[in-house]
Amino acid sequence: MKIFAFANQKGGVGKTTTAITLAHQFAIDGFRTLLVDLDPQGHVAICLGLEKGPGLYRLLGQDESLQEVVLPARSNLDILTSDKSTEKVKRLFTLANFSEKTLHHLLSKSTYDVIFIDMAPSLDVLHLSGLLASDWVIIPTRLDALAIDGVKEIALTMAELSRRGHPFFGYSILPTFFERTTRESFLQLEELTRVFGSHVLPPIPQDTRVREAPAYGKTLMEYAPHCTALLGIHANDHRIGGYIQVFTRLKEMVNE
Amino acid sequence: MNKKELERRKVLDPTVAELLAGMEQRQAEAQMPVRTRQKKARERAKIQSRKEARATYDLPPVIRSAIRELAAQHNLPISQLVSLALIRFLNDYSSEKIALGPYKHPSHSPKYDWVLDLSGELKKMEKEGTIS
Repeated sequence: MKIFAFANQKGGVGKTTTAITLAHQFAIDGFRTLLVDLDPQGHVAICLGLEKGPGLYRLLGQDESLQEVVLPARSNLDILTSDKSTEKVKRLFTLANFSEKTLHHLLSKSTYDVIFIDMAPSLDVLHLSGLLASDWVIIPTRLDALAIDGVKEIALTMAELSRRGHPFFGYSILPTFFERTTRESFLQLEELTRVFGSHVLPPIPQDTRVREAPAYGKTLMEYAPHCTALLGIHANDHRIGGYIQVFTRLKEMVNE
Repeated sequence: MNKKELERRKVLDPTVAELLAGMEQRQAEAQMPVRTRQKKARERAKIQSRKEARATYDLPPVIRSAIRELAAQHNLPISQLVSLALIRFLNDYSSEKIALGPYKHPSHSPKYDWVLDLSGELKKMEKEGTIS
């Protein structure tokens, strides 16, 4: 089993969309998949056409089992919902019998093939707990200076957690809202690759379909299976970037 | 001892590297005068349109050189000469003037069921002086 966390303290960079799209693609490909929503906004459920709920609080605060609190969202895809009750979970971490590793222990005992954790755009105790529960961190980022500053912050937090003994297998940076024709996108992508090299994944092109899909409670695969954000931009006789290409990269990691 | 200044090259995801190279080229072109930019765009479009027409096949060297010589003799593009030869062959094949049966031999390759034995045809050409 592999656990991926989607993190960037900057909001609006595509964490939830990325987590949902990749989780659904893994489920379609036959992997038993769990998507955990650590964000009190509870948007994972809404994007999948379900109601937000206190799944995370019931698991961590009311000692219910994971099987009891997950909701089936699609074939092979379960979700652990969040809502404003997730704020209460943060207070639990001050209790003596509660540690930042609790989520890790609960998830690592499950029987899923792959788990995705959608993190809130913050640097609080729940965020740390999500990072500590993960094997691999995906950092979605827009190609602008502020979002890339968020990448730097997450990298520093991960370095600190590594020093404290948490063994991350690694991390990847996923450029989102990519526009091939703007100079700023080019300069920021160039800078990202200069600093992070092979950690930079093929980018996700800017695509209006991505904004439309949640309004219908559908994933991108259901709403616009041939859209640019999924299949990538045209480059001569092939496509570059897109969620399907990123999925193949992650699948290689899961199958390792 | 003088230490050489070495810089380790970062290995990029191949897709990201390809994308960056393309964008770099476009950014460089954006700085060029309008006429040069238009010329570059035309060249790119020409290369792109020719891609559909390109094919790579293995040919016996004697055939290759015979075609080249014939093209030079008539001052023609080799591609057009080869196209003419293939058009004639396909017409003859569809009107059953030529059959593949006599040339077919079982293949040892797992990829194909049959291969064509062209040695007889090549010998005949040599005898008739079509190739040297």
